[in-house]
Amino acid sequence: MDAGTFVMPRRPLRPAPPPAAPAPALSNTRLAMLILIGTESMLFAGLIGTFLVFRLAAPVWPPAGQARLPLAVTWANTLVLLASALPMTAALRAVRRDDQHALARALVVTALLGTLFLAVQGAEWVRLLHQGLTLASGTYGATFYVLIGCHAAHVLVAVAWLVATVLLAGLGRFTASRHAALEMCGIYWYFVCGLWVILFPLVYLT
Amino acid sequence: MITRRSPVFLLAAAAVLVTAAHAVAQSCAMCGNSFGPDDTIHRAFSWSILFLMAAPYTIVGLIAAVVFVAYRRASGPRRGAVIDFRRGRRPAPATGPEGELP
Repeated sequence: MDAGTFVMPRRPLRPAPPPAAPAPALSNTRLAMLILIGTESMLFAGLIGTFLVFRLAAPVWPPAGQARLPLAVTWANTLVLLASALPMTAALRAVRRDDQHALARALVVTALLGTLFLAVQGAEWVRLLHQGLTLASGTYGATFYVLIGCHAAHVLVAVAWLVATVLLAGLGRFTASRHAALEMCGIYWYFVCGLWVILFPLVYLT
Repeated sequence: MITRRSPVFLLAAAAVLVTAAHAVAQSCAMCGNSFGPDDTIHRAFSWSILFLMAAPYTIVGLIAAVVFVAYRRASGPRRGAVIDFRRGRRPAPATGPEGELP
């Protein structure tokens, strides 16, 4: 081959990269959380249905001789739980603007408020048990402890999730573009707060 | 699929149906006949059943509404803009000056 001949450079034949798929309108994590919340809601619907049967069938509610539920403390505790939704909203806003310090602070406040709610709830339960209201003391005690206890178990799980989220936030795992785990934690927290808005008037105020 | 046991199964099913047809109807605990017209248990079961009937429809409806709103709010081209009607048309075959196909 003489020096004047032009040789086409050989390029490997590569298929053209496929066009980037558009992001789905509803992410898989959000869809999974929706399904989880749907199933949890059905669990509580079943428990509420049971409560309605006993509550509406009873001529007197609470039955005579049973301990009364603490209203004032539970009102305050309700405010604590509902107030915890505010720092959770602040945390979600903070992560969207990549403010790590505000994110960690808001998550810690949310976890503390949730822990306070559980502590007050536990203290009231101990007081009620001392007053003789137990799981075996009739339908009143049974429905109260099962329904409110199931919600408390959910709050406990949510607080544990929050603590894990606080640790992850401390490690800087959440960014403005990548924070699905935090968002799911927030949705779950809103769910347990919203559930209490239904359960509190149903069990304590009726 | 018909197997050797299919006739036995059919006979058993027919026997159950025939005997069930002659059974005396009995009311269950939730039947309205078991309680008086103003019985509180009757009312309690009615409300509970109504609530439990509405709950799954409400929950599934809410989830469907969230999915629907999420897709409506999704950024990107709308469905009307995605459909390219020109792609559906096939170009007319090229013909020669006399009308014959090449």
